[in-house]
Amino acid sequence: MRLSLFSMFSDNGDSGGAYFDKDLNSKIMQKVAEKCYIPANQLMLELLENHPDFKISYSLTGVFIEQCKQFAPQVLESFASLAKTGKVEFLSETYYHSLSYLFSDKDEFLEQIKLHSKEISSFAKPSKVFRNTEAMFSNDIAYLVERLGYEGILAEGLEHILGWRSPNYLYTVNGCEKIKALLRHFKLSDDIGYRFSAKWWNEHPLTADKYARWLSTLQGDCVNIFMDYETFGEHHWKDTGIFEFLRHLPTEVEKHKDLRFATPTELVKNIGPRDDIDVPNLTSWADMERDTSAWLGNEMQKNAFSELEALGEKVKEAKHDGLMRTWRMLGNSDHFYYMCTKSLSDQDVHNYFSPYDSPFDAYINYMNILNDFREKIGKV
Amino acid sequence: MRIAMLGWEFPPFISGGLGVHCFELTKALCEKGAQIDFFMPVSGKKISSPHKGLRIVEVAKTVLKPYMFFSKTGKRAGYGKNLVNAVKEYWSHCISSVLAYSQENRYDIIHAHDWLASRAGIELKQKLSIPLVQTFHSTEFDRTSWPWQYILDIERSATENADLIIAVSKRTGDQVERLGAQKQRIRVVYNGVDREKFSSSQVEKLGSFRKKRKIVLFLGRLTEQKGPVQFLHAAKRVLAKEPDTLFVIAGKGELLPLLINMSLGMGISKNVRFLGYIPDEEQRKIYKVADVYVMPSTSEPFGITALEAMSSGVPVIISKTSGVAEIVKSAIKVDFWDINSMADKILALLKYRPLAKTMAGMSLGEAGKWTWERTAAETLKVYEEAINSRKSNN
Repeated sequence: MRLSLFSMFSDNGDSGGAYFDKDLNSKIMQKVAEKCYIPANQLMLELLENHPDFKISYSLTGVFIEQCKQFAPQVLESFASLAKTGKVEFLSETYYHSLSYLFSDKDEFLEQIKLHSKEISSFAKPSKVFRNTEAMFSNDIAYLVERLGYEGILAEGLEHILGWRSPNYLYTVNGCEKIKALLRHFKLSDDIGYRFSAKWWNEHPLTADKYARWLSTLQGDCVNIFMDYETFGEHHWKDTGIFEFLRHLPTEVEKHKDLRFATPTELVKNIGPRDDIDVPNLTSWADMERDTSAWLGNEMQKNAFSELEALGEKVKEAKHDGLMRTWRMLGNSDHFYYMCTKSLSDQDVHNYFSPYDSPFDAYINYMNILNDFREKIGKV
Repeated sequence: MRIAMLGWEFPPFISGGLGVHCFELTKALCEKGAQIDFFMPVSGKKISSPHKGLRIVEVAKTVLKPYMFFSKTGKRAGYGKNLVNAVKEYWSHCISSVLAYSQENRYDIIHAHDWLASRAGIELKQKLSIPLVQTFHSTEFDRTSWPWQYILDIERSATENADLIIAVSKRTGDQVERLGAQKQRIRVVYNGVDREKFSSSQVEKLGSFRKKRKIVLFLGRLTEQKGPVQFLHAAKRVLAKEPDTLFVIAGKGELLPLLINMSLGMGISKNVRFLGYIPDEEQRKIYKVADVYVMPSTSEPFGITALEAMSSGVPVIISKTSGVAEIVKSAIKVDFWDINSMADKILALLKYRPLAKTMAGMSLGEAGKWTWERTAAETLKVYEEAINSRKSNN
């Protein structure tokens, strides 16, 4: 969700006072829908029809669903068709792609989870497995969502969590009762998500039969392969062969008797935990650090986030739906991601996705909007 | 390596980045064991060599004015009638002087800086049969909106005759290509900064004008190319929101009367302070007290001052049309014509402390990477390349 260019001067900029750039967001949505969502959903539907044992899970925010409704209704229809097959799971998460767990008051986080469940249940069965924004995870998060009734939670399968243990089992979480953690196999996920079209990679080109062979050599109960949906057609364009890879994957997987597809909920229902993991500090799947430093690493990011948090009180007091919605939209993790000033290769990834010239421009624009918003709240 | 370097500025006789470049480059080259004879016009200030291995040779009596200037009445006077003669005189003195010195010193290479030295370089290359490296710190296209054909021709012949050409940025390299140079003979070698000189500078009491007011600094020649007019327009906008800000303009140049009149006409003269030309020591202090440094140049081949401000821990806003914008990440980059955006960014730096702090910290770190030692090492590589390719051609 892109912000408008917003100046401290009211006479400046083309935004007309709007915080979100509707035209741009519409353009981006339509572009990605055309390149990725529509053809990828279509392919998934075909695969589900032709392969009775094929399954897939999605994690869609409420804001994404809204944007579909607004800018690309056919995308939402195709997700609804996928849901009707009964073999597609839609994971639970926060309604907004937000950092709401990082507020010191956890009510907002819980509220956003509820909002999301409500939205998803309009076209699919709510899931018993939760995934936090950018796979943020800790003992405390697992504890909170377990109390909401969730049976599973997704986390990054990091070595410093697992030690010598494998990500290919389910684990209980320190301090929680039963909730099981599903750990993403980041190497096998990134083989598709990042490296699929990388000519420098010694496994390039990646074929479905090779990938299925890798999967069958793994030891363990399950392997969690998760990636951006934009992997298909957007991060890797159609001419890289990414859709052909996907088209052949179920056939190739079926050739191995020890492999079959499952949704996260099926896993947590059918597989027992192997051990307990202890994650006192937040982890995520972002950047090299795999922590929260992609959004809250520098002073600008921390300042912007704490100013947003401070406004939360006032927004709640105002009891005004429009203001509440704007405030929540301003909590989108991307706004903070663009302010990142890490120097190594991660910075390039941040820059690649950023609509701003620099992290400083990102911070300035965000703060200009936040200050305007503060004035607006004062007037209500 | 023995180098005959032809320049026309050397501290304390400087009017811009070229003088700083020559001082720092020769210093770093000498530290690497090079022996340099630096031939320049008589400065009238009696320059003694500051580095071991460097000899300064003042060759002609004319004091050259390399930049376009205006007469006292404010009327455009171009480069002045006598410039052509003065330059020609410098060339002939330079040539005979280098030839004389080469009797005792067999030079390995000639290195000429900018067009004022280039003709002498070309002739010496032929007479001594050694390679010529020509550096462009700017081209006539950068210095004025009304390029003078006479100088363009000299610059063009410099690009044709040099063995290798050094440009101080990619954008300068592009301009040199525009002059007709073959791309494969252009090497980009960025300028550097002596960070310690600026970061360690102690700030004493800074006179009366500080008074807790936030300071936005412009430092450069007051000429169209440096964008002081845009700076004033941005100041006007900022002052509408932050009326207590002080805009300091350091430097002299033909636009001074116009700028003073402008600040009066805009009703912001109380918030604009013209310092005139300030010497090195003062410059280091003024960076230190600035809250924001703005370099709004319409065309800036490199822009050493941006690195100097960064070394002083000052957040910088620089024009996208500058060489330094190609290499630094911890700066805010604006279009020189976008007064609104420039004002917005200045205001943000004045108001958002975490922004200024983050940028200042990053700037210090980044400036440290662009040492003159680096510039000298890359320049040496160009010398060696020129010498080796001549050897293999023979």
